[in-house]
Amino acid sequence: MTAIETIRKNRWRYLSLVLGFFLFVGPFAIIARMINTATGNMASPTLHTLCYRMPVDWLFGGRWYALIGSVAAAFIIGVIILAFFMGPVFCGWLCPVGSVSEGVSRATPLPDRFRLRIRDPQVTKGLRYGFFAGFIAVSVIVGYKIASISSVCCRYCTSSVLQNMADGLTGQMSAVAYWHSGSLVTLFSWLVIGGIFMSGGRGWCLFFCPLGVLSNLSHTAGKKLGLYRMSYNADKCLDCTHCQVTCPTWAIAPDKSVDSHLCITCQECTNSCPQGSYEYGRS
Amino acid sequence: MPNAPIIAFAVAFTFLLTLGAAVYASDFGKAEMVHFRMAVPAGSVTSPTVIRGAGAPIEMAPIVIDLQQRGNLKKLLNPGVEGISTHTITNVGKKPVKIRMELVNVTIPVRWEVSANLLYDPDTRTFTEPLLPGESIRNLGIDWFFQIPEERLYDEIVYEGGLRLSDADTGEVLTYLPITVKNGDGLVSGSGGACH
Repeated sequence: MTAIETIRKNRWRYLSLVLGFFLFVGPFAIIARMINTATGNMASPTLHTLCYRMPVDWLFGGRWYALIGSVAAAFIIGVIILAFFMGPVFCGWLCPVGSVSEGVSRATPLPDRFRLRIRDPQVTKGLRYGFFAGFIAVSVIVGYKIASISSVCCRYCTSSVLQNMADGLTGQMSAVAYWHSGSLVTLFSWLVIGGIFMSGGRGWCLFFCPLGVLSNLSHTAGKKLGLYRMSYNADKCLDCTHCQVTCPTWAIAPDKSVDSHLCITCQECTNSCPQGSYEYGRS
Repeated sequence: MPNAPIIAFAVAFTFLLTLGAAVYASDFGKAEMVHFRMAVPAGSVTSPTVIRGAGAPIEMAPIVIDLQQRGNLKKLLNPGVEGISTHTITNVGKKPVKIRMELVNVTIPVRWEVSANLLYDPDTRTFTEPLLPGESIRNLGIDWFFQIPEERLYDEIVYEGGLRLSDADTGEVLTYLPITVKNGDGLVSGSGGACH
């Protein structure tokens, strides 16, 4: 499938991803702006207003009380509940962090042989849950002061890096003047390794996003109850592997089944399959 | 289909990578974008201390940033700017105060970035709305970026001053937090964390 065909077939998703940028990233940050206006908060809305990570850190670090009344906590609970009923549609259709790295990956004319893709979802899941276990362990260690290490929550923050870059692009050059070691590591991991050098450009989402893990766990639970998910019909399949090539999160197993622990319901597989083997629905 | 040892290796790899990232962050975090907490009134904070009063106790200590203890990536790619940050200013006193902030003895350019859910006048660097006893400024984020000229990057003392918080109505100094940016002797401060 050519790039033009891909864009045409997935146009609604790509439009949604662009919309997601305006909804969440400052200076637009439409959702945060609406929330701030409603609550009388005069702070400038940014991607940080609805932080993806800190509420998870608070929960496991013994600061669960900080979740009460937190807009960010309400937001990620909403994302997780949405994933339960509809699949991780926030990740696949709205998340600006994922969409930027995916966009950078797609826009970079690098041959596929230079890009990493793990073919077996079991290994990808192993890497993903290893990170999540590490994230929880660090939250516990830092939160309960077991050892003198630092949280990985804010020191490696893609939201900071993306927001600073957006501020730079909108004229606030001072926003990109300061980089600490963590933000440099994050930029490199998110856009270079996880973006350009990983097929699909969703390396950060797969291996370093706690909200992504929680969304997929919720989606897997919802799938078991028969709620919305991607389904595969082997009878129609011609074994062309288009689905595996286009899936940005490497969720399609060698037997072409969709792994709900990785799928972000982006429906690229549906749109790439000439036989209509993939469907999104409850059946 | 991979066997169990490969999956176990995958789990262990990212688990240890994440722990390693935390250790690395604690290392460079002592000298890069140090985060600290502030209480008013706390007087002159000349040594590590716990400020008690209305609301939760606040740990404070003079800030000493050793530029030599920054991470190699920072030293290599972005050495000329260093930052400090706070998300906490708490009124531990008994009366509402309008807080005015001032950096003392500024000898190098410093850029301020302030966001808060409290009325703020950037010209006078004053929160024009009083902060009530026991309250912290909601959604506070203040970053100070020290822009270090290249010729001063390896000075023994790059900046020696402090942050003064005073009552905007009376001019009374409520809290003074010494800040030093230097090279050498290994003294560092800060929690090594961020956003906590």
